[in-house]
Amino acid sequence: MRRFDYHRAETLEQASRLLTELGDDTFVFNGGTDLLVEIRERLRRVRNVVDIKQIPGLSDITYDETRGLTFGALVTVGRLENLSLVRQRYPNLRSALASLGSIQVRNRATVVGNICRASPSADTIPPLVADGAFVHIYSRTDMRVVPIAEFFTGAGKTVLAKGEIVTGITVPPAADNIGKAYLKHGRRKAMELSTVGVAVSLAMEEGVCSDIRIALGAVGATVLRAPQAEAMLRGTRLDAAAVRNAADKAMEECTPISNVRASADYRRDMVGVLTGRAIKQALETFA
Amino acid sequence: MNMTTPIEQREFRIVGKSVKRDDVLEKVTGEAQYTGDIKRPGMLYGKIKRASIAHARIKAIDVSKALAYPGVKAVLTHQNVPRVLHYGSPHPRSASCTKDQYILDDKVRFWGEGVAAVAAISEEIADEALDLIEVEYEALPAVFEPEDAVQPGAPLIHDVGPGGNLVLDPVRVNRGDIDKGFSEADFILEGTFAGGRPHPAYMEPNVCIADWDGSNKLTFWTSTQTSFMVRGILAEVLGLPLTKVRVLVDHMGGGFGAKQDVFQHEFLCALLAKETRRPVKMEFTRHETFVAGRSRHPCRIWLKQGFKNDGTLIARDMKLVYDSGAYGSHGPGVTIVGTTAATSLYRCENVRLEGRCVYTNTPVNGAFRGYGVVQSYYALDIQMDEAAERLGMDPAELKLKNVVRAGDIAPSGHPIIGHGLEICLKHGIDVLNWKRLRSRDRTPDPKRPQIRKGWGIGCEMHGSSAYPGIKEQGNATVKINEDGTVTLLTGAAGLGTGAHTALAQIVAEELGVRFEDVGVIHGDTDVVPWDIGAFASHTTYLVGTAAKMAAGKVRAAVLERAAMKLQVSSDEIDLCDGKVFVAAEPDRAMTVSEAMGPSRGIPAANIVANGTYEPTKSYSFAAHFTEVEVDTETGIVEVKRVVPVHDVGRVIHPIAAQGQIEGGIQQGIGHTLTEDYLIDKKTGRSLNAGLVDYKMPLSMDMPDIETIILEAAPDPGGPWGAKGVGEDPIIAIGPSIANAIYDAIGIRFHHYPIIPEDVLKALREKGA
Repeated sequence: MRRFDYHRAETLEQASRLLTELGDDTFVFNGGTDLLVEIRERLRRVRNVVDIKQIPGLSDITYDETRGLTFGALVTVGRLENLSLVRQRYPNLRSALASLGSIQVRNRATVVGNICRASPSADTIPPLVADGAFVHIYSRTDMRVVPIAEFFTGAGKTVLAKGEIVTGITVPPAADNIGKAYLKHGRRKAMELSTVGVAVSLAMEEGVCSDIRIALGAVGATVLRAPQAEAMLRGTRLDAAAVRNAADKAMEECTPISNVRASADYRRDMVGVLTGRAIKQALETFA
Repeated sequence: MNMTTPIEQREFRIVGKSVKRDDVLEKVTGEAQYTGDIKRPGMLYGKIKRASIAHARIKAIDVSKALAYPGVKAVLTHQNVPRVLHYGSPHPRSASCTKDQYILDDKVRFWGEGVAAVAAISEEIADEALDLIEVEYEALPAVFEPEDAVQPGAPLIHDVGPGGNLVLDPVRVNRGDIDKGFSEADFILEGTFAGGRPHPAYMEPNVCIADWDGSNKLTFWTSTQTSFMVRGILAEVLGLPLTKVRVLVDHMGGGFGAKQDVFQHEFLCALLAKETRRPVKMEFTRHETFVAGRSRHPCRIWLKQGFKNDGTLIARDMKLVYDSGAYGSHGPGVTIVGTTAATSLYRCENVRLEGRCVYTNTPVNGAFRGYGVVQSYYALDIQMDEAAERLGMDPAELKLKNVVRAGDIAPSGHPIIGHGLEICLKHGIDVLNWKRLRSRDRTPDPKRPQIRKGWGIGCEMHGSSAYPGIKEQGNATVKINEDGTVTLLTGAAGLGTGAHTALAQIVAEELGVRFEDVGVIHGDTDVVPWDIGAFASHTTYLVGTAAKMAAGKVRAAVLERAAMKLQVSSDEIDLCDGKVFVAAEPDRAMTVSEAMGPSRGIPAANIVANGTYEPTKSYSFAAHFTEVEVDTETGIVEVKRVVPVHDVGRVIHPIAAQGQIEGGIQQGIGHTLTEDYLIDKKTGRSLNAGLVDYKMPLSMDMPDIETIILEAAPDPGGPWGAKGVGEDPIIAIGPSIANAIYDAIGIRFHHYPIIPEDVLKALREKGA
């Protein structure tokens, strides 16, 4: 382990100030499940950590039919995973939450931390992108809200400016005509980083797909949408042929790399397989 | 030595029962002290600077900044440590080891090799100081594949040994007439096979602590399977008599064979402690257990076999090439054992084998559960399945026809005792109703049309003890206390297998006391009798027999003393459950405590006995029946069910034996499907030296395992016929999976790990 200094913030204002004033190599310390590993494995140079866990008001979970689901920065993956509301209304998010790390990790890790790490393979990002979630960002001068698809600027990179802190996430409400799924490809069933992750969120009206969002994880620098595949499916009945064609299109739309986990070609193949399976599973919501 | 002794038949009080393990309470409460838990007053922390190049001369090394860094107490380089050429695997009675390493050298032979060491007041400071050491390298051309390393003109990694980057001269075995065999064959199968580089990934990283006292004696705590070998080689290299080196090991978090080397960090830790006159601890990171630990030898095998149309195997020609990595370690032993193992398993009169072991500029490969045999039997068993396919026979039937039987000459040169493998196969065939499984309806499930299911069988046999490569010796000392309790002193390490519990069961059974009354003292080379180390599936077989011998002597002495007190002849009395009684008059009795204790005019007895046992070898057998599901869209193979049928002779502790089998299967599933320690073939850098990208199966990935343990072929060489079980399961599971994949999708894989990309690619080629 490398040495670093620990700072505890009591308010957002204080945390923001510390993040600005302590200079480079200063990071928010939330669940710490990724940050501490990165320090230990020397993947990230860290001089200071700013613990935000004592800041009041960041642990709430609320839901209403117009605004949707809102949860604070300190809400752990495990807490959200075990919420019946999430299980019923956000099965794609729930599936991603349940596949992240281990139970021990999920009891410590936060969804906001997973988002801010901006890993291309982060499990919780694809369902939040498919659901069109919003990120709430605090700075000492104002608050802003950013659509999650615009939050990421590259692998490990976000729109956050120095001193800005994500306070929570809002996921739009889930109507009864919306079906969702998240499928993850890995080499084992737990404690696994996804090789490919595909989230789907689709709306059906009288047997016809009125809207669909497909989000692809671990096949680009950020989680990607598949806009052409989506366009091919809107207005169809999502029959097998349409789904197959769209899945092929999604394969063209992704930009995977080869690494120790899988080759680019294999990742692309899995985008095709998982997109088809995810749409099928999302449709089963209505069955 | 006592292969002809008949096996004693008796009712057992303790043996064969799953008594509560002696270490279980400590472990579940977290009280158990592992080496990493130990802290000594004034202790420093050592860290190793590792090379960032695969093959190079060190032109210059500047440690001045590191030495000046606050908190740093010492820095060692090749310029200030003793230069003694030594063994990495110092089996004292083995012909099969290679003297090819220095503590630190001016040459780097693999990426990640230690080039300097630092001791500092904290781990963090030691780690930071590593960055301040400046090393100037003169790069040398490097080789990363055995095929390249043996080419004429390839860069030589060592200037010792037979040359040409060979670790030892080729191992050759010839039996019968190979040409005649092939000329009589009705058909011939030929294939090449390749094994990856699985890593044992034991839970407890390598760790040691060195502490020198005022009399220049070194006390050395280390997580090792072979404490007496560590003592011997440390003494030799440091120039000390054995009385001045004391090695201690208590609980261990696994070893799987890989912790039977003497490692670079162990010498460096001892030298840093000597230099600073303070205790020094060195503990590997997980990354270091990969880079500087030991993995299984990658292997390339060419196998050609001739068969008769009735299924008789009549010729076997096989060439094996093991990749040793940058040092010899266990390469010679692995090559000899893995090659000679191919004389057996399936009977064949005409055999020609050649095994080679080759240096490459990659991390060191060493001993690992299955010791060279995992590789060779993977090839043998898969090709036997192919022969069945060619003959249109059920593979179970063909294997049953050809498996070794009693009297066949084993790889050790001794006749095999019992029909263990035949009985295992037959038992599995019956239990599973194999014929029905073979003829099952293979129509895919309409709900999951992409899934194909298959069943496969894998067979194996493995020796308990490293004979004849190592002339082994097991030792035990048994003492009885004046209250009737008993102490066993043993050098056998407790890797976490429950070995000490099994030894205590044996002592209690033989002596006639309760299991709870036996205490085990182990892991202190100053106290316990000499031990060869815990490896080769031999602890229960070898040390168990020695402990039984010692306990028998103590029993005789107790009976003698009790007879005197009871005023009868010692052959008239018996000893059971801690009570001595006259056999004909059970009421005339006394407790062992009364027999041992002082009584009027007679002092308490002091009874101590030693047992020394020098075995040959016994063989355990297994047939694994495995079901897989293959997802034809993703290429993912999932093992659904395994029915492992093992013959281990007399079972001492059924749950511990079952645990060994299940653990071996879990490890073997990993090796066959997901685990491969990858080295970049351009630079020699490790690509996945950590548990994030080195994929071991976890509990969630485990199939249903229905373990069946038979006592079909007990061996008189072990206590009441007991044989080894540690290594067997990891050997049989691999080919059973590969054969099941063939049964599912009709594709043969000759390598491991069989990853989803391989499966998908092969399915497409087949479909095309």
